[in-house]
Amino acid sequence: MTLKSFRTRIRHSIADENLQIALDNNAERRRDGRLAAFASLPDTPERRSRAHAIKADVVANLDEYLIRFIAKVEQNGIIVHRAADTGAAIRIFLEIARSVEAKHNHSGPDASPLLVAKSKSMVSEEINFNHALESAGIRVVETDLGEYIVQLRGERPSHIITPAVHLRRSDVGKLFEEKLGIPYTEHIPTLTNTARKVLREVFLTADIGISGVNFGVVETGTLSIVTNEGNGRMCTTIPPVHVALMGIERLVPTLDDLALFLSLLPRSATGQKLSVYTSLINSPLPGQVRHLILLDNGRSALRGPALSAGEGSPLAESLFCIRCGACLNACPVFRETGGHAYGSIYPGPIGSVISGVLVDPKFSYLAQASSLCGACKEACPVDIDLPGMLLRVRAGLSPQSAIKNPEEGVGIPTTVKFGLKGFRLAAGNSSLFAVFQSLGGLFSHVYSPRRPYMHIPAWTGWGYSKEFPRLAVRPFRARWGKIEQVVEEKSARPLEDLNISEPMTQPPHKPLSGQFAEELAALGGQAYLVSEKEFPARLTEFLESKGIDRVLVDESGARYIIQIPCIREPDPTVRAGVTGALAGIADTGSLLLVSGAGQTLTASLLPEVHVAVLKTSQLVPTLAEALRRPEVRNAPAGVIITGPSRTADIEMTLTIGVHGPGELHVFLIDDSIPV
Amino acid sequence: MAETVQLFVTCLIDSFFPQIGEAIVNVLNRAGLRVDFPSAQTCCGQPAFNAGLRSEARPLAEHTIRVFEKTTGAIIIPSGSCAAMVRHGYLELFKDDPAWLERAGTLAKRVYEFTEYLVDVRGVTQLSARWPGRLTYHPSCHLLRGLGVDRQPRALLAAVKGAEIVDLPEREDCCGFGGVFSVELPELSAEFLKRKIANFEETESPTLVVADTGCLMHIQGGLARQGKSQRVVHIAEVLNTL
Repeated sequence: MTLKSFRTRIRHSIADENLQIALDNNAERRRDGRLAAFASLPDTPERRSRAHAIKADVVANLDEYLIRFIAKVEQNGIIVHRAADTGAAIRIFLEIARSVEAKHNHSGPDASPLLVAKSKSMVSEEINFNHALESAGIRVVETDLGEYIVQLRGERPSHIITPAVHLRRSDVGKLFEEKLGIPYTEHIPTLTNTARKVLREVFLTADIGISGVNFGVVETGTLSIVTNEGNGRMCTTIPPVHVALMGIERLVPTLDDLALFLSLLPRSATGQKLSVYTSLINSPLPGQVRHLILLDNGRSALRGPALSAGEGSPLAESLFCIRCGACLNACPVFRETGGHAYGSIYPGPIGSVISGVLVDPKFSYLAQASSLCGACKEACPVDIDLPGMLLRVRAGLSPQSAIKNPEEGVGIPTTVKFGLKGFRLAAGNSSLFAVFQSLGGLFSHVYSPRRPYMHIPAWTGWGYSKEFPRLAVRPFRARWGKIEQVVEEKSARPLEDLNISEPMTQPPHKPLSGQFAEELAALGGQAYLVSEKEFPARLTEFLESKGIDRVLVDESGARYIIQIPCIREPDPTVRAGVTGALAGIADTGSLLLVSGAGQTLTASLLPEVHVAVLKTSQLVPTLAEALRRPEVRNAPAGVIITGPSRTADIEMTLTIGVHGPGELHVFLIDDSIPV
Repeated sequence: MAETVQLFVTCLIDSFFPQIGEAIVNVLNRAGLRVDFPSAQTCCGQPAFNAGLRSEARPLAEHTIRVFEKTTGAIIIPSGSCAAMVRHGYLELFKDDPAWLERAGTLAKRVYEFTEYLVDVRGVTQLSARWPGRLTYHPSCHLLRGLGVDRQPRALLAAVKGAEIVDLPEREDCCGFGGVFSVELPELSAEFLKRKIANFEETESPTLVVADTGCLMHIQGGLARQGKSQRVVHIAEVLNTL
């Protein structure tokens, strides 16, 4: 794996028209989406620097934070395993799988293989988990639509957020025709619905659900998982065993910090204020077993030993990454090559920094895959100095190459290396430099007497797409003595006020219920403001208008239902679920639901239609406030629901209704005026 | 007595575009400043530093520090990329050498990019320059994101009489120069350049203004290869008109 083979892959990518269209769309739409989403925050720069500081603290004191986090998670009833490397992680999982097998009589010659429903996890990609499981005779099904598509194609994801970003709808149409036996179609909702049906069966029959973890909260031991389609909720709720895979660095100290990072991650990743489902997992559900595998796999090396003393490893900042993919979307190199050309499962700027340590030292050369334009750093919601770290990898300072290849100039061609050494010799002394300048000037004017830009051949690299300027016969240093300086007196005017930015205008005060309804409507959901008196009739009328004759309910939803049969146990044939909610979040149009004490999270997940009932007094302005409710800490699990389930995994075309409900209706009972 | 500033002209302007250097001296004179040119200067060492060859970059950085330590006053660098190298890159380069780090830190405080110095330090935007016709501005990556200098060149251009300034689409995208990047990954560099030139052509401006000579020779080299007549000029060449 060298720069040369990378160049071959780059040429393939550039020649692939379909890929180029897909990548251009990705770059433009993701950038616009990200900028629009951040426009709704009044204090983005402060949030970025706070996030940076929090991560710096977590990484500096990682050992202590891990001890506290693990203690809390274990106290919550989750079984914690620590894996030093790929091999250990896989061994741990296979042991879990074997115990499940023994319990459910999957062993024996005629037994069907163990079925694993898997939600998206970059850590699992990093350790090539699926391959290891399949070799052990376990059937693994990816349930994120994009991941499912690449798995069916026998590929690996080409982007850390949108795995199938390299494909167009026609590719998916052909794939589903071939592998799932449906007639060829380019209709994205049909394709999505096909996957939904296949995967619904997987969720309901899976022996084990696997998920990644976006954030682990130290103070509560909460695992937070963010998805849009609902597959993450399915994998962590339905199967009897849930195994979460997490990199050791993915910690935030408090729930307040979690609220901050949740305000940054979806905005940076997909341009959403919040993803549709933010799961908050504290402990196993009744009858469920939960495991957490904490993976190191090079992270301690990235962090370096003496970090708390102020000096970390040169790449320690890469551990601040929250895997939002914004640097990929901003990167002009990624825009041309796509993810696969990088060879590593972590592509783009962050991938070029970490792949040499977390995946394989051979990927260190990827640090050359950058023009150092800095668009990645600018896009990073945690303000990670990606160009700075790319330079360190190039300088041979990555922990991996420090051991195995202590040479400088990692990845650069020998010719360039020699050229720069020669240049240093010439430029080390100004007299010698002047001689080379004059020689260069003379030579270039002989070579190209008329044209100021010389034609040079493609093999020079530069000459591949541009002409090269002639050197001056008389460089600046030779002209300097002849320059006459006429210094004007005080010609300058005083500094004008160039600041054209207008003072922040405060948005007009809006009642929370209006804000909530507006945000929800923007997501494709609907809110109905009703009085307490009219509510029962309105709800009945609503359900009847939808032809719904039975509803799945939890404890909080049950008390609202009067005339329609209520089902308590998950039943896939019931079309609507009715639930209460702990709180409504006005600035994102979200609902906070928690499980426990008769509350389950299935009524808001399995049916096609979710009806939630909420009082206006339960509305809070922000996510941070919602997360301060004590139930968030005490309930086994909670979820923040932000609109109906959705995906944009095929050509970034928004499709509503994937694994979770396709309709979300909220009855907002106005209790502001006492009856 | 007019104040004197030190000019670190950069090896690219020195070797390829001495007329830009002359324009810079004129513009600084017009802003009321006398210019000195320490003639022992060569290159700041950025090419080797960016390629990861830090032991090759170091002698050039040390040389540059030695040369300018002998002078006083502000050091003007007409390139965002070289200015960022001296201001930020040296601190990284000498991180593990306290003595040199201190010297680098002292030097870094004296360094200004050309437009940054004019606008932020001297309070100059109006230089009575005149440029009839359309102009569009490409913000170089290290100037824009490395130094955070963008408002300054735009203010200077806005004050140019007769000029119609039009926005360059996708202005903040890299042109594909990136130092050795343009040589070692030529296919990628070519794609960036193609997009930059297409965006430039969309403005229907005959002239593209930059404040960094790396981008200038890269984009002009691309235009020359494609047989196109548009010009890329350094902002000092625009400001040096009357």
